[in-house]
Amino acid sequence: MKNVKTLVLAVVAVAAIAVGVVGWWQYVDLTSAKGADNEALVSAKNTSTVQSEVSQALEKVLSYDYSDPQTTQQAAEKLLSGDARKEYDTLFAALQKQAPGQKLVLTAKVSAAGVKDLTDSKATLLVFVDQSSRRAGEDQANVSAAQLAITARKGSTGGWTITGLRPL
Amino acid sequence: MTDEKEPVEPEQSGEDTPQDADDTQEPADETPQEPGTADDATEAEDADKADEAEADEAGPDEAGKAEESGSKRITTPVLIGLLVALLLGISGGVAWWSAAHSEDLEAASDRDAVLVAAKQHIATLNTLDYRKVDAGLKAWTSVTTGTLKDQFSSISADDRKLLADQKKISTGKVVDAAVLEVDGASARVIASVEVEVRDGKDLSKDPSIKRNRFSADLTRSGGTWKLDTLQQVAVDLS
Repeated sequence: MKNVKTLVLAVVAVAAIAVGVVGWWQYVDLTSAKGADNEALVSAKNTSTVQSEVSQALEKVLSYDYSDPQTTQQAAEKLLSGDARKEYDTLFAALQKQAPGQKLVLTAKVSAAGVKDLTDSKATLLVFVDQSSRRAGEDQANVSAAQLAITARKGSTGGWTITGLRPL
Repeated sequence: MTDEKEPVEPEQSGEDTPQDADDTQEPADETPQEPGTADDATEAEDADKADEAEADEAGPDEAGKAEESGSKRITTPVLIGLLVALLLGISGGVAWWSAAHSEDLEAASDRDAVLVAAKQHIATLNTLDYRKVDAGLKAWTSVTTGTLKDQFSSISADDRKLLADQKKISTGKVVDAAVLEVDGASARVIASVEVEVRDGKDLSKDPSIKRNRFSADLTRSGGTWKLDTLQQVAVDLS
């Protein structure tokens, strides 16, 4: 009797340990799988927030009117940071020189934005932007289709700013 | 050490003579238990046990005591051990189950599966070699479903000949892609595609490179995601 009891206890203990080890192993395996901590689409709310904030930021920053360059510059100051900011400053300086003479007007519109990677404070996106440029003396605007790889960061105030902007 | 060992040996041989020798041994037992004489001690103990077994009266009593005290000593650690094992088992099982049934993890893996399939399939549909039109179209039908698949599988012999006569070698590559939406068994993605087109009539010529924006719908059937629609994202500034 004693031996049977001991045997049962041993079997129960070994089985419990086996389930425990396999269970935790599976847990670690599943939760640490590549992409498991990527919240893109998983958190619908955060995904659509970054999607719309980045889209709006791009439309503001990539639109430009020679008669009102301050609007664009202010938007850039607020919505761009890091490398994106530096690149933009270079671009903007060149634009400032040519734009008044050409009476340049740029209009940007985001046609699609997809979030690839999302954590609490960082995001990468693929954004399709339609941009038209109109110069003085041109009957029709020049239309171009852009594809941008965007990296964004969530600031301390909670809003997303664009840190990287790479044309594909 | 050798000094102490010497006197013991004769005693051991003396053990063979019963009872009387036993009594004289008792004090001798103490001496070998001094440090450094462990060997002698165990030998002496073994001898004691053998004696106990010989003595019928002492036998069962002693054995019963040993078992009782043994099980008492083991019970608490065994219980704790068992409890720890059970806790490990239960927690591991719960963790496993929760991870395996986590909607978030499932959504994440669905999203990643859609992205992988979309990248491959969109590249496939942008790839065609005029020398292997049939194989190319077969690849197109294998990665599509629904009306898109029907379209590809119903391409007429004339159209196949036309594709071959154009003598173009197109190779599509998805530069970047993102999933916009996954809803059950359907999903929508956007992709930036680079298509390299070589002229089969003059392969030494530099290929032309085109950049296209695509949006695609995918449908899951039988565990695999296939393309339902694929269209270029045209510029729309209205």
